[in-house]
Amino acid sequence: MPEAIAESVSARETIVKLDHVSRIYLQGQIEVKAVDDLSLDVSKGDFAVLCGPSGSGKTTLLNMIGGLDIPTSGRILLEARELSQLGRSELSRMRRDRIGFVFQSYNLIPVMTAYENAEFVLKLQGVSEKECHDRVMNVLKEVGLEGLEHRRPDEMSGGQQQRVAIARAIVTHPAIVLADEPTANVDSATADALLDLMQELNEIEHATFLFSTHDQRVMDRAKRIIRLRDGKLESDTTQG
Amino acid sequence: MKLTVIAWRNVWRRKRRTLITGFSIGFGVMLAVTFTGTGDYMYTNMINSSATMGLGHITVAARGYNDTPTLDKRLDGVAELRQTLQSNPSTTQVVIRIMGQAMFASAIKTVGGVFIAVDPAQESENVNEMLKSIIEGKIFTSSSGRGVVVGQRMAERLKLKLGKKLVYTTTDIHGEIVSAIARVSGIYKTGINEVDGHIVLLPLNRVRKILQYGDDEAGLVAVMIRDQRYTDSVQQQLLASVGRPEREVLSWRQTQSDLAGLITIDRSSNYITQLLVGLLIAAGILNTLLMSVLERTREFGIMIAVGMSPATLFRLVMAESFWMALIGLLLGILLTAPWFYYMSTVGIDFSSSIGNEYTASGVLIDPVIKIRLFKESVAVILLAVFTLTMVSGLYPAWRAGRVVPVESIKTI
Repeated sequence: MPEAIAESVSARETIVKLDHVSRIYLQGQIEVKAVDDLSLDVSKGDFAVLCGPSGSGKTTLLNMIGGLDIPTSGRILLEARELSQLGRSELSRMRRDRIGFVFQSYNLIPVMTAYENAEFVLKLQGVSEKECHDRVMNVLKEVGLEGLEHRRPDEMSGGQQQRVAIARAIVTHPAIVLADEPTANVDSATADALLDLMQELNEIEHATFLFSTHDQRVMDRAKRIIRLRDGKLESDTTQG
Repeated sequence: MKLTVIAWRNVWRRKRRTLITGFSIGFGVMLAVTFTGTGDYMYTNMINSSATMGLGHITVAARGYNDTPTLDKRLDGVAELRQTLQSNPSTTQVVIRIMGQAMFASAIKTVGGVFIAVDPAQESENVNEMLKSIIEGKIFTSSSGRGVVVGQRMAERLKLKLGKKLVYTTTDIHGEIVSAIARVSGIYKTGINEVDGHIVLLPLNRVRKILQYGDDEAGLVAVMIRDQRYTDSVQQQLLASVGRPEREVLSWRQTQSDLAGLITIDRSSNYITQLLVGLLIAAGILNTLLMSVLERTREFGIMIAVGMSPATLFRLVMAESFWMALIGLLLGILLTAPWFYYMSTVGIDFSSSIGNEYTASGVLIDPVIKIRLFKESVAVILLAVFTLTMVSGLYPAWRAGRVVPVESIKTI
């Protein structure tokens, strides 16, 4: 890792470090500050929630942490590597190997079965067939989809699809799972079950989760709540 | 899961669209087979037919004969030359001939024409169109005799019948005017007015004597080969075996330059038509593939977001093009097979519109248009259609690889 971009984060704990990050969009002639000079750390094992009103910058922040968007100024470090210094293919590898994504509307690949969707990123990593099989079967069992591995997305309920999405996100043992409104499109019972699942993964496997949400149930379960307003950090609290 | 498997499933996500695109590719195959096949059939017929008019597919003659074919330009040692030419495995028949101009006179009238002096022992219907077209009598049996075979049109003009006398007058190797008497042993009708009214078959040895040629001298040696497509390579082989400074080994393209030009122009316009049809079909394929990519922008955004590289995404869409090409080719073969069978066995008869005696560059054109497809034409068609489909996939694949996840999925 080049010295210039390597950062001596308090490596044991900090997974993500945001250092005076701003993101400015142009809407016509007008500059919109989606994220405004925000500094923040996410540590290993966090079960953190980004919340705030619409337009507060939650999604933009998650996009930037996930390497899908780049800050206008400031630095974002994921496991001590500055994302803006990475090329397209390095960024692809970083997302593939170190970040898990859970999308609001599941976003599974429709032509693939539950098994194949969960296996997808492992295959991109070049993991062997046998190891793929073992890890995918384990993770599907963990998310409660044992026996449904051959179903395609259109043969599953919303909750089941979101479980597949979670399985896909965690099967690679990423440094952090970024989840955007993961409970937005499911009913209450399913939302509770999904939160149980993610909480369990956090507690047992120490998987790090960063959510963006409006859902009070998610906030109630979070260990840490990061409130944003107008792109700025309003509060960052830890709860028991 | 392999990329090709994902691509295969993607291709079948919209069955109707895939089938429509597949059939349009298949239709392209059918058109290409029809255009190329009629060309292969017609050109081969024209070339073979032209070769039987006197000069063969390949002609060995004295240097300069092709430019100014005078009777004093002659080959020596033709018997041995014929043997050598016959020993080449690509040749089917080799015949010794003398061709020249003469005046032909009956008791009533005199007309100008061309004689081809032939040895009946060497000739056959395969090598001699006039022989094949005899409608009355037969070819003279002796090469030293007084027989003559004339075309029906000349026979009509000179009021000739079988057994009637005909006097022909020409110049010998010294430029002296010489004449001889012959009797009509046969009358032919090829259907080509220029041939039937002007070409006369005479016995070779008798003409040699009249022209003061030596016993082993002749104007040219005409070579028929198994397959006209290999004319150039056989020409090179023959040139290596019998080429000498005083001889020329010429292909039909050199001796029948009018026909060669006609075929080149026709083939070029055929290619242009095929190219235009191909481009139209390619535009359709491009449209389909691009539509299929654009409607999956979000999905591609997700794939890139979870770590698929743009290059892999490019390969995925190219793999879809690959499957599309194979499906199209398969449908093309299924569509074309019955059409090809019909066209190669029955064909389409245009005799009601062009008649039975339609000629081009002095060659009779068969009014029944059929299809004949050479192996290399099949390979070219399949490869061209496959390549066209793959090339059509390049832009959609490039677009897929350029998808910006943050824009395509708006939110992670």
